[in-house]
Amino acid sequence: MTEPDMNRDKNPNETHVDEMTLLLYVERQLDREAAQGVSLHTQTCTRCLTLLRALDRESRLLTRSMLEQDEPLPARLAEFHEKVKRNMQWIWGVVFGLAVLGVYALYTEYIVQWETRFEQAGFGSTSLLSLVVFQGAFWKGWQSMFSLFEVLAVMCMAGFGLFAFRRYLRRGSALAVLFASFGMLLAVATPASATEFRKGDNVNVKKGEVIKGDIFLTGEHVRIDGQVDGDVYAFAHQVDVSGHINGDLICFAQAVRVNGVVDGNVRAGANNVTLTGTVERNVMLWNETFILDASGKIGRSLTAGGETLTLDGKIGRDFLGFADSTTISGFIGGSVQERGKSLSIVSGAEIDGKTAFKGQKEPNVAPDAKLGSPLQFTKIEQRREERSGGYYLWQVIWGAAYVLFGLVLFSLMPKFSAEAAANTENLGASAGLGILVGAGFPIGALLACITVVGLFVGISAFFLWYASLYFAQIIVGAAVGQWIMGRTTEFWPEIGRMIVGLLLLRVVMMVPYVGMWIKLVVVIWGVGAISLALYRRLQPAMAPNIPPAPMAPLGGPLPSNTTVGGI
Amino acid sequence: MSAPGKTEPTEIIARARTGDTQAWGDLYREFAPAIFRFCRRAMPTREDAEDATMEIFMKLRDKLIQYDQTRSFTAWLYKVAANHCWDMLRRRKARHEKDMDDVDDVPLECPEPNQLEKLIEERTSEEVRKALDSLGLRARMALVMRYYSDMSYDEIADALGVRRQFVGVVLLRARHELRQALGENSALAVGGTR
Repeated sequence: MTEPDMNRDKNPNETHVDEMTLLLYVERQLDREAAQGVSLHTQTCTRCLTLLRALDRESRLLTRSMLEQDEPLPARLAEFHEKVKRNMQWIWGVVFGLAVLGVYALYTEYIVQWETRFEQAGFGSTSLLSLVVFQGAFWKGWQSMFSLFEVLAVMCMAGFGLFAFRRYLRRGSALAVLFASFGMLLAVATPASATEFRKGDNVNVKKGEVIKGDIFLTGEHVRIDGQVDGDVYAFAHQVDVSGHINGDLICFAQAVRVNGVVDGNVRAGANNVTLTGTVERNVMLWNETFILDASGKIGRSLTAGGETLTLDGKIGRDFLGFADSTTISGFIGGSVQERGKSLSIVSGAEIDGKTAFKGQKEPNVAPDAKLGSPLQFTKIEQRREERSGGYYLWQVIWGAAYVLFGLVLFSLMPKFSAEAAANTENLGASAGLGILVGAGFPIGALLACITVVGLFVGISAFFLWYASLYFAQIIVGAAVGQWIMGRTTEFWPEIGRMIVGLLLLRVVMMVPYVGMWIKLVVVIWGVGAISLALYRRLQPAMAPNIPPAPMAPLGGPLPSNTTVGGI
Repeated sequence: MSAPGKTEPTEIIARARTGDTQAWGDLYREFAPAIFRFCRRAMPTREDAEDATMEIFMKLRDKLIQYDQTRSFTAWLYKVAANHCWDMLRRRKARHEKDMDDVDDVPLECPEPNQLEKLIEERTSEEVRKALDSLGLRARMALVMRYYSDMSYDEIADALGVRRQFVGVVLLRARHELRQALGENSALAVGGTR
């Protein structure tokens, strides 16, 4: 006969059946032998018999309590209604309205302005989508840019993402978002064919060599002395182009020198760019120093941002600049629009279109410089920005957009959002992590872009970081709301607190001078709280639903021959 | 079944499966009170229970065709209800303080039989229901599944997503939690360490 699990009581001579075994006996979950063992024991042991009866009575009390018809069926449930949540349908109307407002705000505040600037820079497209993706050229050759390392990096990122959000992947909405994101990525990254890939310390397209199609080059020093009948993508410390590129040149480098001919556009993010050759179409640059040599020529427009711009050569159309110091001594066929600290139009300069400068001090114009029309100067004073009714209207619209963003995030990631909001109370860790992640993440993303890790990973990381800056404000808003209105664990009250806190923060952030510092603190704090929540999520945790050890009653575990539930 | 054990209206079920709206209405009226009570015991608020009841029946209408007529309709219905309620609670677990995934591994103290007897004797059904409200979600759900809808250990394990061998432990811990809630502020507090 199977011995039931016995405990020794205070009296060492007394043994008793443990509560777990007695419960399983009451529940008829013990096998026959174990049950007989319990039955025999309780015939002689008063203590166990009393406990057994108590457990049985407890079961009956539980059943009785639950089955009692203490509440009538609510009138609302008297008949079956198809739309049980009709009363909440309005919320989706509000959400949609907020979404439209947010998109409109984004479009008018940023996209339209950038569209205008791109047009002025010669991109000339009216298609918003093509502007966003730089007329498609920026994305050409992505597929073939993937090296083994990049694929591994992307896979690691994907694995990380799946691990981080594994608890939500069961939800249809999360999967929908995931697949929609993949779909969008695939849609914007147009695959290209016949792209060559070269990398090494010194990468060279030799003189006389002809590359048919696009080429991707990465290394310490990239030289193009030959001919490329396609686009060139270069990521290097130094890039020298003395050959002929029939397509576009897109590069990220410490120093870029173009001595040769580029039939398409040049787009570069670099420290120093020197153009002594010819670019038939447009040039777009973000750099510290740009020199358009006297022999250099840009067929269409130049858009440049940086510290110092020196334009001695020829620009066929417009020039749009954002630089601390700009000096023009060459020819510009179109107009000049410059915003910065200083502008000098020196002797020998010729500008056919209008010239407009917005800056802190009046530009220096040489008497013999030829200007198509009188220079328009707008002095930018360091004064408080005038706030009209429109400003406040936009603040309301942005507030609504934040609320919408918060709703989406709290709906998609309720637990994570709640954890992040709770982490704001951990001030030290949140602030430290906020500074570390807030500053370190974009640097990492930039490094990913310019190294072998890849553009895809870098740009994705950058977008993630950028989104987290907004998410941070929502998280801090939720925390503030809870401090004001008290804690809650229900969804809608939690949303209500988030809205109250967020709107309060938005109001405080509107305070002149102080507001921007408050915003900075909020963002750092929030980013830190999010990072902390993420960090805690990624810590090894006990597998769900599995107890670390079975219950340990006085008598230890059930005997090995006790079948739980096998009656 | 307004109460478990009642004879099942097999003819109504069969007609409802064919899309007979009249039969569906009858089926709803027959089972809604019991399912509402189940939800009322399992869910934290009355509103939740009402919503859950309607959602269960909406789900049921789509799933009715999958019902195996050779098996108990009541048992199947409770299984659907339990899965739905647990799913709802799990989705909300972030907003509840008691984590539903982690199971306490603190050893339970064996109760003193006479004190337990006394406690059970002195408590009314209403008090038990009130105490039930204060339990952790998993504990509460387990007790409701076992003692309201008489679900088997296999079904409970399936619904809660735990190993079958662990159901007894969940139930025992739930009872301890309940005893603690019942005996709170009283010298009768028995066992339970949660």
